[in-house]
Amino acid sequence: MTAATGALRHAAPRSALWRRRGVRKAATLYLLISPWLLGFALLSAIPLALALLMSFTNYDGLNLEYVRFLGFDNYARALTDADAQHALGRTLVLVVAVVPIGLVVQLSLALMLNQPIRLSALFRTIFYLPYVIPVVAGAWVWKLFTDPSGGLLNALIGIASPDVNIRWLVDYPTVVLALFTIWGATGGGMVVFLAGLQGIPAEYREAAMIDGASRVQVTRFITLPLLTPVIFFNLVIGIIAALQILVQPMLLAPGIVGLGPGTVPPSDNYLYAVHAYITIFVHQLFGYGSALLWLLFLVVVGLTFILFKTSRRWVFYGVEP
Amino acid sequence: MSLAIRPRASARAIALRYGPLLVAATAFTLPLFWVAVTSLKRQSEYNASPIVILPSVLQWVNYEQAVLLADFARFALNSILLSGTYAVLVVLSSALVGYGFARHRAPGRDRLFAVLLATLMVPNLVLFVPQFVLFARFGLTNTYWPWVLWGLGGSPFAIFLFRQFFASFPRELDDAAEVDGAGPLRIFFRVYLPNSGPALAATAIFMFLWVWGDYLYPTLLLSVNNTTLAVRMANAYVDPRGNPLQTVTMAGVVLYVLPLVAFFAFAQRFIVRGIVTTGIKG
Amino acid sequence: MTPRATRRQVLIGAGALVAASAAAPILAACQASTPKTGGSGKVVVMTDPNEFSDDDRKILEDATKLKIEVVKSDLTTLYAMWAAGNPPDVFRVQAAGLPQYISRKMVKNLQPYFANSKFLKLDDLAPANNFYRSDGKTVGKGDLYGMVKDWSPDFTLFAYAKAFDDAGVKVPSDTTPLTYDELHTIAKKVDRKQGGKRVYWGFVHSNNDQWIDRTAMNMLAEKNQSLYSDDFSKLVIAGSPEALKVVRYLYDLAAEGLQQSPVDPSPNWMGADFNNGQIAILQYGYWFSAMAESDTTKGKTVMLPAPTWAGVRRDPTMTATGWVISSQTKDADAAWAVFEQYMGGKPAQDRAKSGWGVPGLKSLYAQMPQESAFQKQVQRVVQGELPKSDFVLQFNPYVGEETFSTSWKKNLEPALKGQIGFDKFVQNIESEVNAAIADGKRIIRS
Repeated sequence: MTAATGALRHAAPRSALWRRRGVRKAATLYLLISPWLLGFALLSAIPLALALLMSFTNYDGLNLEYVRFLGFDNYARALTDADAQHALGRTLVLVVAVVPIGLVVQLSLALMLNQPIRLSALFRTIFYLPYVIPVVAGAWVWKLFTDPSGGLLNALIGIASPDVNIRWLVDYPTVVLALFTIWGATGGGMVVFLAGLQGIPAEYREAAMIDGASRVQVTRFITLPLLTPVIFFNLVIGIIAALQILVQPMLLAPGIVGLGPGTVPPSDNYLYAVHAYITIFVHQLFGYGSALLWLLFLVVVGLTFILFKTSRRWVFYGVEP
Repeated sequence: MSLAIRPRASARAIALRYGPLLVAATAFTLPLFWVAVTSLKRQSEYNASPIVILPSVLQWVNYEQAVLLADFARFALNSILLSGTYAVLVVLSSALVGYGFARHRAPGRDRLFAVLLATLMVPNLVLFVPQFVLFARFGLTNTYWPWVLWGLGGSPFAIFLFRQFFASFPRELDDAAEVDGAGPLRIFFRVYLPNSGPALAATAIFMFLWVWGDYLYPTLLLSVNNTTLAVRMANAYVDPRGNPLQTVTMAGVVLYVLPLVAFFAFAQRFIVRGIVTTGIKG
Repeated sequence: MTPRATRRQVLIGAGALVAASAAAPILAACQASTPKTGGSGKVVVMTDPNEFSDDDRKILEDATKLKIEVVKSDLTTLYAMWAAGNPPDVFRVQAAGLPQYISRKMVKNLQPYFANSKFLKLDDLAPANNFYRSDGKTVGKGDLYGMVKDWSPDFTLFAYAKAFDDAGVKVPSDTTPLTYDELHTIAKKVDRKQGGKRVYWGFVHSNNDQWIDRTAMNMLAEKNQSLYSDDFSKLVIAGSPEALKVVRYLYDLAAEGLQQSPVDPSPNWMGADFNNGQIAILQYGYWFSAMAESDTTKGKTVMLPAPTWAGVRRDPTMTATGWVISSQTKDADAAWAVFEQYMGGKPAQDRAKSGWGVPGLKSLYAQMPQESAFQKQVQRVVQGELPKSDFVLQFNPYVGEETFSTSWKKNLEPALKGQIGFDKFVQNIESEVNAAIADGKRIIRS
């Protein structure tokens, strides 16, 4: 874009009128986006820079008396931190568990709800509801739901096979975390898929069906390919979010539901953001914690880049109607 | 819907169409059912072993308690005020910025847009402490100003959305307005905004819900007196000895969610259409 | 070795914003603590709303003619407020956090204020207040940096008689203290599970492991030993036979399912579970007597004296919840006025009468409630405990209050699941806590 403008500038005669219009265009753009520019500078860029700065020090979050510059020590430490490595591993496991299944669930529900069925509004509401329930309340619900003694889940399982008393949160904490996360996130993604589906012109589907295609074939060869941009969108957003999950494992940790210091998830649910949070607020290592979070940022950027690069293979930006 | 003539749906087809949906709905509803049912139990029935599925006597008093203990109306108003203010500001600001990115070429535009997308990737926790330090320095803690500022600054997600949306508007509309002598701002208000009803509404609802459900930022930035309902509810439902009252908490959750549910059930066709028109797939 | 950037270089590099944040605390720390005057008439108090009702606030505002703003006590919020250079004037602490606050110069030396106080006389202070004394090196003697709002001998036990009846075991006498070993044996007998579901936990303690290090320290102190080396620079468990014994004892309680643990958790805190009649023996201080009798446990609760590990009984407080004044308060006199009234005025008397704790002033001891039969029984035991409560637990000044317990909980889970052995469990805790100590020492070194 800039190259083209640059070329134009050299090609066209340097008339005062043109230059003025160029300046005017730039002024317009920057004025229009100024709210975001200011907001970004004040609320994102500066805090991010401060966080970067903190990551090079031993700041303990309490006062600046003892701040020392440490260079890249924090980063070196982060790369050899066994807890951080374990946490990153568990986080990647969770991403692999939650994102594909979540996408499949959201997409399937959207496909099913896109058909002419009765009570579609009711179904949509049911699936959207967990998205709206505040996460603290959701955690209460799931802890209770999976409680070995007083929980509904074991009671239902007990109907089929009595005397089976699975300690969900103790023996399968990641399963509960994954289910809780997927349950809560479905609403948002499903709505986006629904919108994407309704953006696909009906003519395409009808034409295929007139030609004799079955519903399944229509879905597989027409609907899904045309939906890949939306799938890609949800995939990227989903992975970015999953890498940062913090609140859900903390709230599901044994003991009282809450986010206070002293809450420690079981080691299977000890995710990367949890590790950073505990490092900052329990061990008071703001500097080291910031380094951990900056490394996470780099991982996110890297993964997103890979996703975009590989997206050309399978994302089909079709023709607009 | 379909113009083709089809035979009347067979029983098998109906089962295929509704079956999986019912299974999924049941799976989703089980925890919700548990919320509803727990909200009507006595505390002793809540954690009873062997499990008590349905309460023996419906404890509607829990709902009374949920309203009283949390001073529900007052904090609900706080939440509505905060969420509403943020939603309105952020949508207008994001639409304006999205319009800028969509329609006005200038050097640096694409690079800035890439920066915008990159901000979606920043882990929130990184910004958490420095943002708090900044707000505290300027005396903005215990006020709603941080949300006003966030609203005015726009949301990258919403800006992205609007940019996609506005990019698909036919340029003839712009040109026609320009011929009439309208400047960029007037074009925005006369051409773009009026035609974005559903997109505005959909985005506003998403943004409203984000603040409505947020727990982390109000805990840190607001005081006990002016905090939101989400935070209040997490702490308020205890008996005089400090023991948490989960049954009342569940009643509180139902009250918290019910108006949203009603609203969503009513407005969801609207929301979906709103996202459709943003042409996100492109 | 290249010289590290000096503090000034860091600050200049950071820009105006950070420099502005830096100026205030550095200046404050450099000044001698002279009482400042002429504030805005407002005092920000960070405390627990359960301990500071609206009525309390009104009483204090009337008595001091100041406006009081209450912030809910929360460690994260406290750190954030400090990071912003705007900490509360008065804040609630527990003794475990105090050494760190003192070593990082975050709290004000209140000795001169106490010397001149009408309400808070130095010789009237309960021994628990020694937790707030420091001479710069040791906690327990020296100048006062704060005061307890009330306290309890924290190692007493509460027994639920029904659990004992169900097991056919006699409730221990409330005049003869048990040893920890006897307690272990009894707990095993009254602990009960039915068909995989929990009926009674045998012996639950340490506030769901949040205070596990304090319990251990109190046991070790009977033999004049500690979990840490003399200068607190290292956590030593494996290298100290007695410490290993104590840790093994506490670990076994969890391994045998007598204590609530990450593999046998409850969604409630232990107090609520006791009220629900799910705990046979609970270890909490006198304060719990104010709520021990729920509908389920009424008439079936007995308070027992603290057990002993090695025959030298100690029953100090391990929390010593109280208030301090921040070193950066802008109006120390106003903060002190509020502090003084809360600690010695009507709110203090109300607290004494409520039975939620032993008062911080000895002159208020007589106000503790003694009406019901249970309260009388409790007072009898408390009177026996008071002579054993003069001790001060030494907390590590280099780390925060939750460091040890977080490490304990984090490693207990895989250990109880058999994923790591007991030796690895001890080793992990040692290395994690020692790393934290090293971090803390590096920070304070200047």
